[in-house]
Amino acid sequence: MKWVALIIPVLFLAVFIYGLVRRVKLYDCFAEGVKEAVPLILSIFPYLAAMLILSSLFEMSGLARMLTNFLSPAFRALGIPPEISPLVLIKPFSGSGSTALLSELLSAYGPDSYIGRCACVAYGSSETVFYISAVYFAGLKKKRLFRPTLIALGANFLGVVAGCLLCRVM
Amino acid sequence: MNGIFAVIFLLSCALFLFSNPDGFLPAMLSGGEKAATLALSLLAVYCVWLGFFKILEKSGLAEKITGHTMPAMRRLFRSNDREALSLAGGNLSANLLGLPGAPTPLGIKATKRFLESGNGYAADMLFVLNATSLQLLPTTVIALRLSAGSPSPADIFLPTLLSTLLSTLLGAVLVFMTHSAKRPLHTKRRPA
Repeated sequence: MKWVALIIPVLFLAVFIYGLVRRVKLYDCFAEGVKEAVPLILSIFPYLAAMLILSSLFEMSGLARMLTNFLSPAFRALGIPPEISPLVLIKPFSGSGSTALLSELLSAYGPDSYIGRCACVAYGSSETVFYISAVYFAGLKKKRLFRPTLIALGANFLGVVAGCLLCRVM
Repeated sequence: MNGIFAVIFLLSCALFLFSNPDGFLPAMLSGGEKAATLALSLLAVYCVWLGFFKILEKSGLAEKITGHTMPAMRRLFRSNDREALSLAGGNLSANLLGLPGAPTPLGIKATKRFLESGNGYAADMLFVLNATSLQLLPTTVIALRLSAGSPSPADIFLPTLLSTLLSTLLGAVLVFMTHSAKRPLHTKRRPA
């Protein structure tokens, strides 16, 4: 898997050399691109903050744990091991939170146990849906946001169910 | 979304009230702190990628790369806005390559353009594709497995790929179905 690390430097090198050949003023042009970074951050920041405050409340109030306990039997019926249900629940809200949970699970059960593998697949096949929706639809009429968010959540969840199933056979 | 926000907020608030009223403000502040640090690290990431993308764009390479995929993109997003489509194309390829942080600025710009032209379908499609994880190589997971001492860190590659493929396809189909049922005429077909 060493070659994976090469992707990014090679990409930059190739594009910059191509730019030079095409007589692009690299310094000016790069700076011009960077100029857009601050307004972009400013436009997404309010939604980012609201979402992160909410997910922090969700985790720290114990609501996440209660919901996990409540949903675990249903998850188990669908083939999701109860050990990884907190991960499945936190992932849509928080990338860093779910990364921490994943490494905890890996050290507790071992990376190549069934639970460890399920956790990896559940983590890798889903996304931080609420974070992405906050950022992509920042500053828009929130009403139209509900349906795509729901679709993404549902699709991710089915992906996790399928992943746990695949971990049994693969 | 406002509903979800209100429900989770009120429930958490009530829980804090009964179990640990002193923990309420620190919990909110820790979320705010996360937002502040995340915004700064995102700023750093966007600086790098936006500079890179500008060179990609100015050199004409972006045009060359997205040119081939244009017909497919046009159909996928039901749009004829070349710039928005090439932004969306860049977003999807950055996702597939797993370049950390790179898809977001492109995705935001593309979404803005799609919505300005009233193409809610394209914005939803782009969002769902992004939010169902398109990554070909789960680099974070592999790194975590490696550090947890797994002898075969890339072992989960295939099940992850299959399940993420399933979720992405399902999401795309659902967006397609929910939209086409409602607004059959909303695409502006290009004269052949």
